[in-house]
Amino acid sequence: MKKYIYIISIFVFIIGCSSDNDGGESAVDDDYTEIPEEVSNNLLNLQIPSNFPAPTYDISQNPPTEKGFELGKKLFYDGKLSSTGVISCGFCHIQEFSFTHHTHITSHGVNGRIGTRNAQPLQNLAFAQDFNWDGAASFLDAQPIIPITAEDEMNESISNVLRKLQEDENYPILFAQAFGTEGVTSERMFKALSQFMIMMVAGNSKFDKWQRGESVTFTTDEEAGRSIFEAKCSSCHAGTLQTDHSFRNNGLPIDPEFNDIGRERVTGSPEDNRKFKVPSLRNIDTTFPYMHDGRFRTLRDVLDFYTNGMVNSPTLDAQFRNADGTIGLEISNTEKEQLIAFLKTLTDNDFLLDQRFSEF
Amino acid sequence: MKKICLLILSTCILLSCDSDDNTNREPGSLELRFENKIGSENLILGTPFTNSSNEQYVVNELKYIISNITLTRKDGSQFIYPVADSYAVVNEEESSSKMITLTNIDAGTYDRITFGFGVDPTKYPIESGTLNFVPTAEEAGMLWSWSAGYKFIKMEGTYTPENGTESNDFVIHVGSHGANLDNYKEIELAIGEDIKINSATASSKIISFDVSQVFNGANTIRLEDKADIQVDPINAPKIAQNIQAAFSIN
Repeated sequence: MKKYIYIISIFVFIIGCSSDNDGGESAVDDDYTEIPEEVSNNLLNLQIPSNFPAPTYDISQNPPTEKGFELGKKLFYDGKLSSTGVISCGFCHIQEFSFTHHTHITSHGVNGRIGTRNAQPLQNLAFAQDFNWDGAASFLDAQPIIPITAEDEMNESISNVLRKLQEDENYPILFAQAFGTEGVTSERMFKALSQFMIMMVAGNSKFDKWQRGESVTFTTDEEAGRSIFEAKCSSCHAGTLQTDHSFRNNGLPIDPEFNDIGRERVTGSPEDNRKFKVPSLRNIDTTFPYMHDGRFRTLRDVLDFYTNGMVNSPTLDAQFRNADGTIGLEISNTEKEQLIAFLKTLTDNDFLLDQRFSEF
Repeated sequence: MKKICLLILSTCILLSCDSDDNTNREPGSLELRFENKIGSENLILGTPFTNSSNEQYVVNELKYIISNITLTRKDGSQFIYPVADSYAVVNEEESSSKMITLTNIDAGTYDRITFGFGVDPTKYPIESGTLNFVPTAEEAGMLWSWSAGYKFIKMEGTYTPENGTESNDFVIHVGSHGANLDNYKEIELAIGEDIKINSATASSKIISFDVSQVFNGANTIRLEDKADIQVDPINAPKIAQNIQAAFSIN
């Protein structure tokens, strides 16, 4: 029913503003915002690749539209969302690197402050479950509260962001165009950001084409890597998106600088100590550095860690405990090269270069 | 858009209820006054009280979130207050926050009121209308910045342990985090004498919250054992359970 009302309201909106004059000038008055005439706002088609699972995001609650998406994109790249006016979401989430903070071990925030975790890639968020390395947000629509308000990130309050947007020359018009009526509200801001983010589907890698039976063939190394991946990695990095959405302790030595307790911060449960989200490996070749704190520079470093660097602790995932009492995976050097060849097939260049998501 | 929804919704509701025997069928309002108590006394911030563990405690700050208000008639039929408009922060320090006025309630005779303590995390944030509650919660300090969740209650002060002389700080922030730790509670209160609601009657009810029951309810909370209760899978659910039984209406 909501959808209908939505469509009706767009319709009413389109009809309703055909009588305005002023030749499309987006003049702003002190008392009211004039909506430019003839603004259409079409629903966008969220194309789900045939090899993908069903979305976790309830799209019917917030169907992306042209104007909603554009508004979300403008917000995403706008420093107004931070206290200093210069740190936007896009500052730490750079498209070419699958929306990560390339080369930064942990992310930077306002006034050069440095956070404690490595910015996660933004892709396939409509298919994700829990957000952030520790799952501190259960819903995508509420997730932006964290980076906007965190001191080491954007250090701003939602109320201030709204004030700035309400006072802006353009935002009130853009909000009205996106949602059919006037009003710059937090719900609309979060909805617009979600509309932008759920459209970010990375599903056209060589691996996807192979899964869909399109005309691609893996090289010998890629194919060998795929088999090793299936055998040794896919119990956690499961399925098309290479994650089972769980939180696990993969045996990283504690970094005393951060002493990050991981999932325990969210649940308060010692059983979740040092557990972090099993990340999707989509575009993994472009998202270095690796791990929640960005401690590894290369994929080879990551694989070397899994064979030689893991440390034991009470919450270490059982899958890393071997029958002989040792911990870690057994992967030969050749196998590591083959695995890396396979992991590179997960890169979707169409997504990384997609103009729809690009800042400029 | 919401307005249209509301209009359609309220029209539907208006048309569909005709079982009451009142002559005035115009929607009315109800004023809910929240009173924070210690037993039968009024809570006074900064004043010492004693809990059942013989700890002397002083509350300096008390805020909590109320949501999802529903009124029920004798026949079981319900009036669900528009969810997005039902969120409120009750702040002991701010008298206006302790008075929640519900408007445009269907006319009728009601004998039960139900409301939520906190924010129901099972509902999708758009559907539950909480996204527009974010700035209010944030300004009241009821939002965690590291987690996209709410503090359902923020109760802070100092305490002196039994036989102790020095006072220490206590902090109680109970909420829900992620999808696992859910401390949202639904509270149902029978209204002793039925409330008639229509446009001609100004109705008002007092809801008391007995703050002492945070410590002494079904579960005993001794601050000396733990005085900083925040993301706490053991004590936070106990406090939430205590709070669920700490409300009464008169």
